[in-house]
Parts: sequence; C-alpha cells; structure tokens
Amino acid sequence: MDCRDLTALATDRLAGEAGEAARRELSSHLAGCEACRTEMARLEGVWATLGEDADAAVTPDFRRRTLALLEEEMIRARVKAFRPRNHFVRPLAQAAALLVAGSLGWVIARTAAPAGAAAAGSKTPAPSASNRAAAPTDLGGNPRLSNVSYEPPGPDGKVAIAFDVTTRQTVSGSADAPEVAKLLAYLVSHNAETAGEKSRAIQLVSEHYGAGLAAPSPEIVAALTTTLKKDANPGVRKKAADALASLTITPEIRAAFLDSLRSDKNPAVRLVAVDALAAAAKQSPDSSTIESLREKAVDPQENGFVRAKAASALKAINF
Amino acid sequence: MSELEDASLLDRVRRGETDGAAELFERYAPSLLRFCDRMLSDRASAEEVTQEVFVKVISRAHQYDGRAGVASWLFAIAANACRDRRRRERRASVVPLEAIAEPRAKGEGIESTLVHAERRRAVRQALAELSDEQREALVLARYHGMPYAEIAEALGISVGAVKTRIFRAVETLKARFSEGERSWTAAT
Repeated sequence: MDCRDLTALATDRLAGEAGEAARRELSSHLAGCEACRTEMARLEGVWATLGEDADAAVTPDFRRRTLALLEEEMIRARVKAFRPRNHFVRPLAQAAALLVAGSLGWVIARTAAPAGAAAAGSKTPAPSASNRAAAPTDLGGNPRLSNVSYEPPGPDGKVAIAFDVTTRQTVSGSADAPEVAKLLAYLVSHNAETAGEKSRAIQLVSEHYGAGLAAPSPEIVAALTTTLKKDANPGVRKKAADALASLTITPEIRAAFLDSLRSDKNPAVRLVAVDALAAAAKQSPDSSTIESLREKAVDPQENGFVRAKAASALKAINF
Repeated sequence: MSELEDASLLDRVRRGETDGAAELFERYAPSLLRFCDRMLSDRASAEEVTQEVFVKVISRAHQYDGRAGVASWLFAIAANACRDRRRRERRASVVPLEAIAEPRAKGEGIESTLVHAERRRAVRQALAELSDEQREALVLARYHGMPYAEIAEALGISVGAVKTRIFRAVETLKARFSEGERSWTAAT
C-alpha cells in the first residue's frame, strides 16, 4: 500500500466498506508509517466530528400534518385513477334524460289545463267498439282528459273522440295501515311506466318509511329489493338502494345489498350498498358482510371509490 | 424490516390503502427527514421536501419495479427532490442558527452549550459547502450507514463514483475542520 492510498482506504474503513484484506493491509501500513497514523487520526477525527451534527427528529406536529396530507393524497390518487367505464356512461345518460323527461312531464301534467291540454299521440289507440259511448262524459267534475284522439266522420257521418279519463282519488290512513303500505308497494312495483315515475314512487316510499313513521311492510321491502336487483335503469336501482338504506336493515335487505355489492354493474349503486352494509355491520357485525367488504377493499378490478369506501368502512367498524 | 415487507407496503399504497402509506411514513419518515435536513440545511424545507417525497411515492407507487430496494428508491426520490428544491430556491448555504438549536443537555453549562452549538453549526456549515453530489453520498454513508452499492442504486451512479464522491468529501472536510480546529480547541 502506498501512502497516497491512505485517504481512500481509510474512508472505506470508516464507512464499513473495507474488506478483511484491505483492513489488514491498512493496519500493517499504519504500524510502520507515522505520517499515515497521524493522517488516519485526522480522518477519524473528521468522521467523529460529523457525528456531532444533531439528527432532525420527526415532531408530533410534522407527523400529524404529513399523515393528514397523505390521506388526502391517497383520496386524490383514487379519484384520479377513477375512470367511468364507457358502458356506464350511456345508461347513466339515459337515466338522467328519463328523469328530466319524467320530471318535465310531471310538471306539465300538474300545470296544464284540465281539458284540451292533452295531445293525440301517434301511438294513441283507436277507440274500441266496446268503449264507445253515445252519451258525452260528465264534464261537470272537470275530469282530466288525456291521450285524446279524433276520428273524422265515417260512412255513417259520425265522428269519434277517444280519451282517457283520469280521476283523482285520495286514500288516507294511518302511516302503518296495510292499505297505505299496499298502495305504496303497488306504486313502486306496477304503476310506474317510466324511470322518472318509478323514481318518484320510490322517493315517496323513502320519505314515508325513512322518516320512521312506520315500519316497512314486507310488500314494500320486496318491491324495493326487487327493483334494486332487477330494474334495468341504474338511476332507479340507486334510488331503491337509497330507500332501502334509509330503512332499518333486516336480513332480507342485507342480503339484497350483499347481492348488489357483488353483482350490480353500477359503482354508484355499489357505493350505497357499501355504506348501508357498513352501517348495519356497526350495529351487528356479520361475517358475510365483513368478508364482502374486505373482498371489495382489496379487489384491484373494483372501482377506486368503491374500494376506498369499503376500506374506510372496515376501518370504521374496526375490522 | 425486510425488503419483502417494504414491497408489500408499497403494494398496499398502490392499491389505495391509506394505512399502507401511513405505515411507510412511520418506517421511513425519520431517515428521510434527516437526509433532507442535511441536504437542505433548513428544517422547514426539509419537512416540505419529505412530504413531497411521500406524495410522490403515492403517485409513483405503480412505477416501482423492484429492481432497486425500496429504501434506495425512496432516497433516490428524496435526493432528486432536494436537488430540485436547491435549484429552485438557490438557497444560501448559510445555516440559520435556529436550524440546529437544541435543548441544553442536563447539567451542561451555558458556555459548553454554546461551544457545542458552535461546533454543530460548523459541521452543518461544512456539509453545506460540499457539492450536492458529494454531500448526498457522504450523508448516506455517514449518517445512514448505507453500503456503497445501495448508495449507488439510490443516486443512479456506479459504486466507483460513490467512493470517489465520499473520498473527495472527506478530503474537503478534513481541510475545513483543520482550519476550525484551533478555534474549537481554544473554545473548549
């Protein structure tokens, strides 16, 4: 070893990088070279002096601020990673259009003049012979006539005017009366022809039962769970999920949400399912719910929002 | 802590698990903060850059390919962030005294405290005067006990370059400390 190599070898040794052979060579050289021993002492002094610099420590405040920042960043990253899949965009747009159209129709229907406001549509059925009446309808009660069509004079010189008569009825009863429940279930299951109508019916049910006025009847629960499972419109399914989530969770509702979380194609519906299941699990932990949430929380194929929601739901219920 | 655990933590960060990011912070924030503090000579900037490092880890977790160790990868991000910060701010290398102020040790006299503070300030000043490249390599070796090979991974240079940088840094410091030795001796 040459004296000129001292600093390099000594630095390796101080950094713990000198091998056995290099250490032996250095020691042997130092034993016979006073100048290098002095130099070695100075280098060791440099290394030791560097140790006098105090380490910066993580303060509780820095820790708290940074963890809060990281949590925000994680959420931001999930939002950034979220890309609505194309096959959701169209149904959602359709649902939105239907809702708008339904709402407009409802507003027009409520504000239009009782008679004459209805226009004949191209699909208006021709008056059937059985419904033909020679006598005019009693207009004294201002009935609402809709779906009106007009037939010009035929060979017999008679004209025909066809229309639907809508009369308004009011059913009143206590909040938990069976006839009220039956009527609400009917509105959800059968009466709605459009997504807008159905959504409004569900909203009505939700307001009725969600306010805690009455315990939901089995018909209502069945109507809502069927809608959640089978309705083709994701907006309506979400509405049904919201309505079910506002009720006291029963095993049937929990099963519907578990099914929805597993198989509903719409992430917004699955998000409601996660929330509802987490709330239910907080009250009474249930292994299938925990398992489903856990699967969702780590499923790389799952939508980022749903995954994050499932993870924070698990955290909230201490699982 | 094993590489496997580190990789699994990064995997959790990749999957969007906030707990994973928090655990990574607990493991690496102390050493990254120390590194940034010595690279920037300013506590506030060091904290900001350390935060930046973790934010970058979140957004780049999917880019980690496992070729380098997680620690090396984190220090690589930190070294780049510190270089960027220094470039951006063109921070003066003068070290504010408050940056190294510490509570006095029990039983330590005021004079002794001042001398020690002065020595610490001088060390920090000497470090600040090294080039970024030399300081990075020296700090990782001296204060983090990192082997040359890991330093090379973190800084993206060869092991030979690491040795050269540390060697030159030590040479510079030797001269610098020799100059101050007399005044320190006189003070103590």
